[in-house]
Amino acid sequence: MLSEARSNAIAKSNSGELSSSEVEGFQVWEVFTQKKDGDIHLHTGSLSAPDLALAKMFAREHYGQDQICVSLWVGERDSFKSLGGDKETYEVFVQKDAGSRHEHAGSVDAINGKDAREKCKEQFIKDNAFCTIWACPLSKLSKIESSIDMIWRETTDQSYRLAKGYSKVVRQKWEALRATKAVDKYQSEDLEDTF
Amino acid sequence: MSASANVEVNINDCEVADPKKLAAFEAHVAAGGLIESNDWMPDAYRTLMLRMAEHHANSEIVGSLPEGEWITRAPSLLRKLALTAKVQDEVGHGQMLYEVAQDLGKSRNAMLRDLITGVTKYHNCFNYPCPTWADICMIAWLIDGAAILNQGTLAHGSFGPYIRTMRRINMEEAFHFKHGEDMVLTLMRGTEHQKQMAQEAFDRWWGPSIAFFGPNDRPDERERPAMKWRMKTATNDELRQKFVNRFAPAAMATGLVINVCEKDEKGIVTSATPDPLLKLDEETGNWSFTQPDWDEFFRVIRGNGPCNDERLALRRFSYEQGEWVRKAILHGSTTPNNN
Repeated sequence: MLSEARSNAIAKSNSGELSSSEVEGFQVWEVFTQKKDGDIHLHTGSLSAPDLALAKMFAREHYGQDQICVSLWVGERDSFKSLGGDKETYEVFVQKDAGSRHEHAGSVDAINGKDAREKCKEQFIKDNAFCTIWACPLSKLSKIESSIDMIWRETTDQSYRLAKGYSKVVRQKWEALRATKAVDKYQSEDLEDTF
Repeated sequence: MSASANVEVNINDCEVADPKKLAAFEAHVAAGGLIESNDWMPDAYRTLMLRMAEHHANSEIVGSLPEGEWITRAPSLLRKLALTAKVQDEVGHGQMLYEVAQDLGKSRNAMLRDLITGVTKYHNCFNYPCPTWADICMIAWLIDGAAILNQGTLAHGSFGPYIRTMRRINMEEAFHFKHGEDMVLTLMRGTEHQKQMAQEAFDRWWGPSIAFFGPNDRPDERERPAMKWRMKTATNDELRQKFVNRFAPAAMATGLVINVCEKDEKGIVTSATPDPLLKLDEETGNWSFTQPDWDEFFRVIRGNGPCNDERLALRRFSYEQGEWVRKAILHGSTTPNNN
């Protein structure tokens, strides 16, 4: 139910043509997240933004606060997919099979994106099967690593936004009502709290 | 393909696929193979996948509206933090799913406008009212519980970008669901007044929860493109049965009564009688139950539900309130730390 003030404001706005600025044709950015120090960066999704500053802001908002995250890497989609580019260091990301996420494999010095893929195969993939490789020049990859820049803060208790923050107390409450076996069966369809 | 595909597209109108390519595609999918954005896919697959992702995205952002309205009235600081996080998660799911749909060929702006002007739809269950805090508890337990069952099967679909999104979404849904259980259990262990409030909200949400999975299966369900191409991996009736098997005994264990209800045009229950069909078949392990009121379901889908107008009005209001942000972005704003 809406409050009266909300209802009145809405009633006023709901007439006439739908006004909107055409927000079209923004670049697509790819975002990688790291769950804890030492973990590799995994591709977590994409977003649309007109420039790097906003891409970084959206990345923090959308991918850096809903789940545990200590570092974000952001770059334009084209930078990951291009076979061209200049001689420099590239971060390379491997998708092992269709459907899985691109994982950071390491960095290579290469003359362009195509060469970076070859080096990635030689140095990291070797004889293993893989689906696709992304290679992003280091100069085009923006890394957000300082804890001050992250929304997810290890210093405050964030357990209220994780399933495991409730697991114990919920289990206790169910056990007071139902036999352990029934609770087990009911909970066997819970989703894992990891991704 | 046209960039403005919408839910009205008849897949028979789609470009007919090259039979050789189609056969190879179907064999790949049937063998458990996955499709990525750059792979060849039949026009009808792209259209259906786009519709599915767009409808899902619409549902995420409309679904957060009734919940958002309760943030200021949450009963404790912890509940307020969790509800704020849930609403923010849901809108984030919308952004991820719009991104998937956008990659399949329809612009973000067209999708947001089509939602507000009624060209496209969102999930029917969000057209029902939430008059008390207990409705927020029941939505998080039953509707998120139903969504998890459904999305768990969608995560085994055939389209790579969509299933990756499903997996990330499901992890956040796991929190919404656990929080919902905690809230329902808190109410059902509380005062008589709390229990009554929970029962009344349960009466409002049980019907929409079992209707959540959509209409009954058609005889050729598995031959239809959505299942043949593994966009869906379980039928509506299979999911509904699974839901009732899990939630009916759990609800009863908390002391809730599963009623068959009649509602007025505002969605408020006018009569509630215990479901006469509710019974466990010991052999199959399946619970029998009274089917949702399908006349009501189709009436609400066609736009005549208790809250259709209110939800769209609020979505439009939110969209218009965001106009200054879109303008600021369009006029080349960048913050000083553009490094």
